[in-house]
Amino acid sequence: MDAAALQAFLEASVRLGAPLALAALGETISERAGVINIGLEGSIIGGALGGALGALLTGSPGAGVLAGAMAGTAIAGVFALFAITLNADQIIVGTAVTLGGLGITGVVYQSVFGATGTALTLPTLPALPLPGLSALPALGPALFSQAWTTYLAYLLAPALWYYLFRTRWGLELRAVGEEPTAADAAGIRVRRTRVLAVLGAGFLAGIAGAHLALAHAGTFAEGMSAGRGFIAIAVVVLGRWNPLLVLLASLFFGAASALQFELQAVFANVPYQLLLAFPYLLTLAALAGWIGRSRAPAALARPWPPRSGE
Amino acid sequence: MGGAAVEMRSVSKRFGSVEALADANLSARPGEVHALLGENGAGKTTLMRVLCGMLRPDGGEVLVEGRRLPPEGTRAAAAAGVGMVHQHFTLVPSLTVAENVALGTREGGGFRLALERVHERLTELEQVTGLPVDPGAAVAGLSVGAKQRVEILKALYRDPRVLVLDEPTTVLGPQEVDWLFGVLRSLVEEARTVLLIGHKLDEILRVADRVTVLRRGRTVLAEGREAVDAPGLARAMIGRETTPAARPARVEAGERVARLKAVGALGEDGRTAVRDVTLEVHRGEIVGIGGVEGNGQRELALVLSGRRRPAAGSADLPATVSLIPQDRGAGGLVAGFDLAENTALAFHDDDAHRRGPLIDWAAMRGTAHEIVTGFDVRAPGWRATAQSLSGGNRQKLLVGRELARAPDLLVAENPMRGLDIAAAAFLRAKLVELKGGGPGAEEAGGAGGRPAGAAPGIVLFSTDLDEVLDLADRVFVLVRGQLIAVPEAERNPAGMGRPMFGSEQA
Repeated sequence: MDAAALQAFLEASVRLGAPLALAALGETISERAGVINIGLEGSIIGGALGGALGALLTGSPGAGVLAGAMAGTAIAGVFALFAITLNADQIIVGTAVTLGGLGITGVVYQSVFGATGTALTLPTLPALPLPGLSALPALGPALFSQAWTTYLAYLLAPALWYYLFRTRWGLELRAVGEEPTAADAAGIRVRRTRVLAVLGAGFLAGIAGAHLALAHAGTFAEGMSAGRGFIAIAVVVLGRWNPLLVLLASLFFGAASALQFELQAVFANVPYQLLLAFPYLLTLAALAGWIGRSRAPAALARPWPPRSGE
Repeated sequence: MGGAAVEMRSVSKRFGSVEALADANLSARPGEVHALLGENGAGKTTLMRVLCGMLRPDGGEVLVEGRRLPPEGTRAAAAAGVGMVHQHFTLVPSLTVAENVALGTREGGGFRLALERVHERLTELEQVTGLPVDPGAAVAGLSVGAKQRVEILKALYRDPRVLVLDEPTTVLGPQEVDWLFGVLRSLVEEARTVLLIGHKLDEILRVADRVTVLRRGRTVLAEGREAVDAPGLARAMIGRETTPAARPARVEAGERVARLKAVGALGEDGRTAVRDVTLEVHRGEIVGIGGVEGNGQRELALVLSGRRRPAAGSADLPATVSLIPQDRGAGGLVAGFDLAENTALAFHDDDAHRRGPLIDWAAMRGTAHEIVTGFDVRAPGWRATAQSLSGGNRQKLLVGRELARAPDLLVAENPMRGLDIAAAAFLRAKLVELKGGGPGAEEAGGAGGRPAGAAPGIVLFSTDLDEVLDLADRVFVLVRGQLIAVPEAERNPAGMGRPMFGSEQA
């Protein structure tokens, strides 16, 4: 691989990894509070459509990101209402929210823009090269010549790490995810903590969706989230519920996806569908080989209050 | 009455068809240790959970230092100065001692969690209470007794005006109980109030200033310490007379049923939990093994009952071994199964309980019925699930089922724990009958007659030293995985305590 190709590969890795990182960092907080939100995909696609509409209506991609974040939060709110307030099964509600989110965004998109087949062109988030840093050889342009939403992911990882492991609120959130009974006995509001964590995760997933529409594609397409919500959930496991490792795991997955494009060029005679599966296989291998030593929050996916008996 | 620290008036609470509290009253003054007594299911814990804001009562009111508490909300109760040490641990295992203590406090006030402040204050508390604790240790790795000490420290850390302790002594050794009572006395000297739930009357009477007794959700007695004695309290709790348990006669031991030779076993954490244990058990004897919880009892019981292969040495075990595990929830009953299904867990491959490959449910229900009547299991109906029973009734069901299997060897870990006075006396009598090969076995079982002289050997693990001394023919203590025989001349609490606490405290 020559220098230009290497740089392109690194740039693609970060570009593909950033939306995953945003969604996975949010999911990390949600899971640390004991809620597995399979509806993350719904928040991402909602964020993509919200971002597209917001950017189109205002002409400002920044306003689009905000609209996307709100859409992602709203969809997470539906999940929180059923899975936490009404204490329904998290997996079932999450699946419904994902399927519903994919369906509704399709309907809204078609009713607003019609099924013309012509692609929508959106104002895009420009790359903001950071002075100095972006001039570093190879890594500089890849890491530091990106849209601001990517930098948000860089900043969030250490901030969320500090929040989780160094603040009172982080401790309370972890206790809710580990042993809600103990947290309740200590006077912590279990449901409220969980709802806020889920809404926060939806907010970030919405930004991830808006990033897809406004920084990657410059357009919206039905189903453009393309399973990233589920990959983000795997990335959380790969990153062992630690925001710093989750950021690395996101970039790792982004690199695997980018490598897949390179492989398509090298192995032209191999069916490309096989190569498309490469990042997923790599993730499976990484999960199987590496995860044995890590442990999910003990109360993950457990309803609160417990449904049976006292 | 003026200036009551805690005043609970006409509190009622129903769970479905069960009336847990009906017109329960409690009044505790500042500066007293107030004992709350009652049988299992009498409503003691429910009443205290109402006080702490964890349960919303259906009726009645709660006042703390003259101020009325809202009907629900742990925060309001905590703000009023009520702290509780729960019967079941409310610790987060993956966090450290200090993190658990800090949980829900305003420690550090601002943004950053000031764990070093927690460490400091814990060290201060350690000096005041004389309680060793490592603030940086992960709770998951602590022994049960140490976890209990953390629970108590956690409550003290919040500087409560009113401290509620729900059966705090069950997992403590005798020295630790003394320590705890010392701490409680020093708390009430500061004009605080201690509410102590208990079931061992002599223990409670040592420390209490006043006593309230609940029976079936009602307050039936509220008196000063000087006006009550143990028999009177037992009468108030049960509603009738009890006969003191007779010390069993020593029976000539029969043939050997089990032999452990130099057995070693590993704990859950992979460390050696039992080392070099050699023990023979004969028919018709009760081998009593005392000791503070977490000294290898669990692992030795699993090896003795054939549930785990020893990591070292050899174990010769008989064909049928019954185990009454410590944790009845996880170890013996399936919460969602009804009484017949839980009975079937022990008899599913018993010839009398099947027709060909099918379970004979009529026979199974018959056996379940015998257990329920023989052991006085109070259930709303035989279709009731195990989880709908109170803790004590669950235990009776499990113990009844295991005895009904007519085992050659019975291994029991703290079988009386959580049983009320009447049930514990009943179970003691059953064990004594059983080792004599007496009618108890037939009565409880009905699962195949037992030839005379085929009484099982019984190994009784207990943290209650009195229980071991009362029941056992031979007495041992288990200390850090080693089995130490207590000589006949040393057969008393002090003699048992010496090897347990001789060198260092676990």
